[in-house]
Amino acid sequence: MTLDRRQFLKSSLSGAAAFACWVKVPTLAHAKGRADLIRMTERPPNYESVRSTFTTRITPVERFYLRNHFDLPKIDVAKWRLRVHGLLEKELSLSLADLQRMPQVTVEAVLQCAGNGRALFTPHVPGVQWRSGAMGNAEWRGVRFKDVLALGGLKKEAAFIQLQGAERPTMNTTPAFIRAIPVEKALHPDTLLALKMNGKPLAPSRGQPIRLVVPGWVGDDWVRALVDVEVRADEPKAFYYDTAYRFPVTPGAPGAPIPADQMKPMTKLNVKSLVGSLSDGDRLAPGVHQLAGVAFSGEAGIERVELSFDGGKTWTAAKLDGPAAAYGFRVFRHAWKAEPGSYEVACRATDSAGATQPETPVWNPSGYLYNAIERLRVEVRA
Amino acid sequence: MIRILLAAGALSGAWVIASAVAADDKAKAALLDGQLPDDPARPLVQGKCLLCHSAEYVTSQRLTEGQWQKTVDKMRKFGSPATDEEAKAMTAYFARYWPPDLPPPRVVRAPPPPGSVPGK
Repeated sequence: MTLDRRQFLKSSLSGAAAFACWVKVPTLAHAKGRADLIRMTERPPNYESVRSTFTTRITPVERFYLRNHFDLPKIDVAKWRLRVHGLLEKELSLSLADLQRMPQVTVEAVLQCAGNGRALFTPHVPGVQWRSGAMGNAEWRGVRFKDVLALGGLKKEAAFIQLQGAERPTMNTTPAFIRAIPVEKALHPDTLLALKMNGKPLAPSRGQPIRLVVPGWVGDDWVRALVDVEVRADEPKAFYYDTAYRFPVTPGAPGAPIPADQMKPMTKLNVKSLVGSLSDGDRLAPGVHQLAGVAFSGEAGIERVELSFDGGKTWTAAKLDGPAAAYGFRVFRHAWKAEPGSYEVACRATDSAGATQPETPVWNPSGYLYNAIERLRVEVRA
Repeated sequence: MIRILLAAGALSGAWVIASAVAADDKAKAALLDGQLPDDPARPLVQGKCLLCHSAEYVTSQRLTEGQWQKTVDKMRKFGSPATDEEAKAMTAYFARYWPPDLPPPRVVRAPPPPGSVPGK
């Protein structure tokens, strides 16, 4: 077979045509500036933190992940009111100024998306494909939720607190984001209606003007731009409470369906750790490398972090920054004398209740609460 | 002369294969870049899905046909105005281009979006 010029051009054009049929989806223009996050979805805005963020105790706001179900609500802070109603002696309608006049406290706590690590599950599950950056630790300042509930006076039948923010779905057929927490957690002195994050008023996508802070618990309960609190005797019938954000009572085989009555709402975060100063596939020069990372665990605080450089055969205790924070990141450090070779670097944390990270994640249909020991391949060579 | 023709033919054949492979590589790269390949179902995705969210909700997933089917069913319950026929076409499109064994999408670094940092 030979190709003349015409055939040659034809084959070239067929290749070009094959390429040309891929049409780029238009995207919005991006602001100039240092790239500090990883964009997962543009609308609504879902961004995760880059690994190098996780070497400090407090996560800066500009490097803190963002998770949204819907477009950001437009809020006129001057007109904003928090309605508190239901099983109360007196219904409340509070302005931001009302909340600012109440006693303010600060709580340091990790906010982590339930689906952080979803992309790492096998088999894959649908949802935003977070890897390891949908978490962060901040200082939250605001009013104790129990002080607000006390203004209304809880009736004795009160068992659940239903929560709704100002965000609304694009289509009115899409379920609203409604959550609930048990009254016991709402009354905990560390559960806050936060007005500030790391010392500054909340930005619109951080929950302006207030967000619920539920220390030690999964991020789905940390409702932003809170506008409606209903004190109830029962649990709400709402998609994002009675269907979504549920975890199996007893885990099944990976990929196996789990009956709805065998799922329950998540509460506490599980123990987790990550070496922020290393990434999978890194190549390092021989010598001493100062490794740093973060560990956390729901309400228990971190007791120990160990590192392994041989794929988990032997473990070395990392040095922990102190003091231990009940709900926050605990930074760990290790000076690694790296000799030339190939390494599998692993880290595992243990909390003060003795819980430690598993070798394999607990697979579940929505990819929640991934906390398996992370393993990074690192090459050391001159 | 025959030898020359044979050599030219072999070279041309190799070029055809190489160009097809290059086109395929570019197509794969475009897919991992988050682009929606041209297809009769593509306008459906734009009209029935992108009303509420951007295309990454599709292009970042790696799902079986059964999982895609459930996802499309869920989105129709949420309000996606797709008919039975359109839903079927979109499910086939998703299952064809974003199966479980497709490599992960390219990582996109970006600055914090508007409204996420106080005063910005």
